[in-house]
Amino acid sequence: MSVTTTRRGLLRGAVAGLSAAALAPALAACGSVAGSVSSSAGKVRFWHLFQGGDGALMRRMLAKVRADVPGLDPEDTVLDWGAAYYTKLAMASAGGRAPDLAIMHLSRLAGYAPGGLLDPWDTALLEEFGVPQARINPRVRALGRFEKQPYAIPFDTHPFVVFYDRTVMDKAGLLDSDGRLLPPESPAHFLEMAERLRERKGKLGPIMGLFNDTAQAWRMFWGLYSQTGGAFDLSGRKPGVDRDKMVEVVEFFQKVAVDSRSMDYPAGVAAFTTGQSPFIFSGEWELPTFQGAKFDLGASPMPTLFGSPASYADSHSFVLPHQDNADEGRRRAAHQLVAELLKGSMTWAQAGHIPAYLPVVGSKAYAKLDPQSSYAPAAEHPAIDPPAWFTGAGSDFQARMCSALQQGMRGADSAKGTVAEMLSGLDFFLSKPNPA
Amino acid sequence: MSTQTVPSAGRPPVSAPRRRTSPVPRGQRSSVRPGPVLGSGPLPKIVALVVLLAATVLWLLPLAWGLVTSFKSETDAATPDDGWIPAHGFTLGAYRQILDQGNLPLWALNSLLITVVVTALTVAVSALAAYGFSRTLFRGRKALLGLTLASIMVPPQILIVPLFREMITAHLADTYWAVILPQVVAPAMVFILKRFFDGVPRELEEAARIDGAGSLRVFWSIVLPLSRPILAAVAIFVFITTWNNFLWPFISTSDPNLMTLPVGLSTVKDSYGLQYAQSAAAAMLASLPLVIVFMVFQRQIVKSVATTGLGGQ
Amino acid sequence: MSTVPTTGPASLAPEPAHAADAPAASPRASGTRSRRGGSGGLFVAPFMIFFGLFLLVPLVYGLWMSFTDASLTGHGDSSFAGLGNYAEALTDSEVWKSLGNTAVFTVLSSVPLVVLALAMALLVHANLPGQWLWRFAFFAPYVLPVAVVWQVWSMMFQPDLGLVNNFLGALGLDSVGWLVDEKWAMYAVVLVTVWWTAGFNFLLYLAALQAVPDHLYEAAALDGAGAWRRLWSITLPQLRRTTGLIAVLQVLASLKVFDQIYLLTRGGPNGSTRPILEYIYDTGFTGYRLGYASAISYVFFAILVILSLAQFKIFSRKEA
Repeated sequence: MSVTTTRRGLLRGAVAGLSAAALAPALAACGSVAGSVSSSAGKVRFWHLFQGGDGALMRRMLAKVRADVPGLDPEDTVLDWGAAYYTKLAMASAGGRAPDLAIMHLSRLAGYAPGGLLDPWDTALLEEFGVPQARINPRVRALGRFEKQPYAIPFDTHPFVVFYDRTVMDKAGLLDSDGRLLPPESPAHFLEMAERLRERKGKLGPIMGLFNDTAQAWRMFWGLYSQTGGAFDLSGRKPGVDRDKMVEVVEFFQKVAVDSRSMDYPAGVAAFTTGQSPFIFSGEWELPTFQGAKFDLGASPMPTLFGSPASYADSHSFVLPHQDNADEGRRRAAHQLVAELLKGSMTWAQAGHIPAYLPVVGSKAYAKLDPQSSYAPAAEHPAIDPPAWFTGAGSDFQARMCSALQQGMRGADSAKGTVAEMLSGLDFFLSKPNPA
Repeated sequence: MSTQTVPSAGRPPVSAPRRRTSPVPRGQRSSVRPGPVLGSGPLPKIVALVVLLAATVLWLLPLAWGLVTSFKSETDAATPDDGWIPAHGFTLGAYRQILDQGNLPLWALNSLLITVVVTALTVAVSALAAYGFSRTLFRGRKALLGLTLASIMVPPQILIVPLFREMITAHLADTYWAVILPQVVAPAMVFILKRFFDGVPRELEEAARIDGAGSLRVFWSIVLPLSRPILAAVAIFVFITTWNNFLWPFISTSDPNLMTLPVGLSTVKDSYGLQYAQSAAAAMLASLPLVIVFMVFQRQIVKSVATTGLGGQ
Repeated sequence: MSTVPTTGPASLAPEPAHAADAPAASPRASGTRSRRGGSGGLFVAPFMIFFGLFLLVPLVYGLWMSFTDASLTGHGDSSFAGLGNYAEALTDSEVWKSLGNTAVFTVLSSVPLVVLALAMALLVHANLPGQWLWRFAFFAPYVLPVAVVWQVWSMMFQPDLGLVNNFLGALGLDSVGWLVDEKWAMYAVVLVTVWWTAGFNFLLYLAALQAVPDHLYEAAALDGAGAWRRLWSITLPQLRRTTGLIAVLQVLASLKVFDQIYLLTRGGPNGSTRPILEYIYDTGFTGYRLGYASAISYVFFAILVILSLAQFKIFSRKEA
């Protein structure tokens, strides 16, 4: 029977395997069959989470760096964004053989235990490569510090903004002569403006598309609440918040959401791009999608409705994951790569993000970018998640706040009930020990 | 202890596919006796055939869909109601893309290396231990055997947290060793092999011993050749489960260059974002090795699962 | 593979089939054991080293960690927490919810995985032409890595493009958000699991069917028993023990589900499919709380041990 011969073959295979095992220490020495942990000084293993339009731009920027700076060789790996990304990054850092460079949402920094899982940046080295600290947006840069050490170098700011169809808005008399959104004077005034849009035959007013989403509702709420100047202190055992102001914001939220109560994210995007609604609250990261629409696209920072200007925002930042035995040359290369990417961030602005590198934002070329330049002021009043170990992009905290807000938005709960639900969520997180 | 945790020990076989009939090929056997399931006459057979065909089509449908999608262009793959025949024809584009820029070949190599080493080590270490437990006396034998058998109850999944920490402490995190070493512990395989050795007659070994052969020599030149079928069965089983193992390789590797196929495919993304045809092509390529192995060695694999399946699960 | 882990053991195991291939065994007598007692330890030593380092050590280390507040981020400087982690686990609603999800998944998946596998095996055993094809079709999914299963099925379940909703649409039914709707997600992961792993039990049944002695059927045929009669009075009773074993192993395997659920839904939507193992992963690695995750692991381990012992007891009583 042929079976016997194959069995013999299998055994022979097993013996071969054993000798492979004997050789394996040699394998361990080179780390991988790919030999990734070679000592070539210019190699930078870089983890990020950019896909789609962002991914294409990042790929282009890296290719340019490779061409411009001989010897610098970024090896990028794209991981799925969200909790999975931060889990892998934390596990890699805890293991001591982390990548040389990674992207992190600034809002995650507080929860990421910078002291244990990240290594600080050498700002002098960055300056040597042409990027002194003063050239980086000071508001977001300040948020990248932990215990007086710079742990995160911001790459961009990506705020929550409003997009609109300029033609429709103009007809409704809601734009100034420069095509900019007329500033509403109060929440009531904004609702009046919304009513004017709704008067078009059978069309929708402002929409948001945050049903069943685990971030959008919170982003919208947090931006508006930050405008009120109300406290949101998560450092104690009980949340230090201004309940009345929260209720006020949720009430406005409920009124403005009438046309998009059960619209999920893709449905919201579709309703705006197909012209069903001329006005959407969304992240600037949807810009490439919206630019595909067949109308004159305009954008503005989040209107100031509750006192002082603020928009929800986050920032893609560069971090150095902790390495047990960091190689001097590779660290240098990582600094150089970040400097090059910052200097080249005009390309990045095409995705809609506001570069953190000030010379780019102040350039003539950027001023010509439309509508990017019209919402760029949003980077001056970024409302990044309240600092706590459990907050930030892709966190359970955001998901929980969203589910409470959606109940209120759908009318299944009153504004007061919604706020109570949010606070009980906060109690839940505050009752847990900080694991970092 | 052993006979308590393992009820079938010392009893007649439970469900093992022991052939009690003459070694006539199965197909021919059926003609001399009534089918065990169906009645006589053509009608039940036809009904059964139709049901089987329908079930088979249903079962193969997802794979067929994946296969067809992998040959579509990205546009067609993302078009609702594109159906089985793509509007713009079939293309190899997705495969070309995957092989050009992806890490797929590297992950396949990692999978192969890790699986071969784990299988070889597991078979070697388990066979030695099983023989030791079956044939030799040494101090603490009973206790160690009891411990080994009792540990069959410990699911490896509950050890992920301490094992990960252990790997960090040993500075093995993110190395091939971190993936390989813990997978070598397979008490169930020791048990299966020990029961086999228990059934092997001792006379041959005694004769060799009288000729002056040492234990290791007896094991190597007498016992191992006799044990080829069971070793093959264990090896096949360990190979399949290691090739497909997800949880531990997922936890123990963060470096994309060290990942196995299942882990790499599900962790590392493409900067282009979700592309259906490419995902499908990657899935097809990743399933190819074992599906081919299965097509060629179906008989042995079926036998291996039947032999080790109940014990090894 | 989650349902059949590599080193995954079970509490029950049959005698290896190939014992029968070897010549008749001589009765065991301790006198025939090697008298060179010393070398026995050497045979066992390599395995025991692996066993000690990668099973015993983590088992004990994990138990120790479960009494501390060990964190993924701290460098080993954790402090003793007494029974705090266990007290928290018992009052943590997410522990109960994920245990509940695990139980629901186990019930929903085990029943079809046993019944369907038996039905398939009976049909295939009917000596119809095309044996190779049937076995290939039903067992092939089992040899696929979970990443493939996940990619193929996320395509199948895709709301607008997926075959499943296309099919529903053809029947005039509304499309369903299989993996994103709390009402349906659990059924979706059960469906995938059944498709993926039924082939394994199918093979076990097929082997058992081939072991049913022919003379029983021959006798029945002489008595003029019909097909149904033979099924009920010979085949199924003969398979009783196998069915018991498969059911027990299936339940234990289903309780340990992780891979396919993690990949298909990440435990969502809203935690509705998160099994206990994923909660352990989420707590320990995503949430950094290794100590607490260890405590939950041990709670789960205790449940598994109790269940296996109970199943074994019921099972052996039936057999007695």
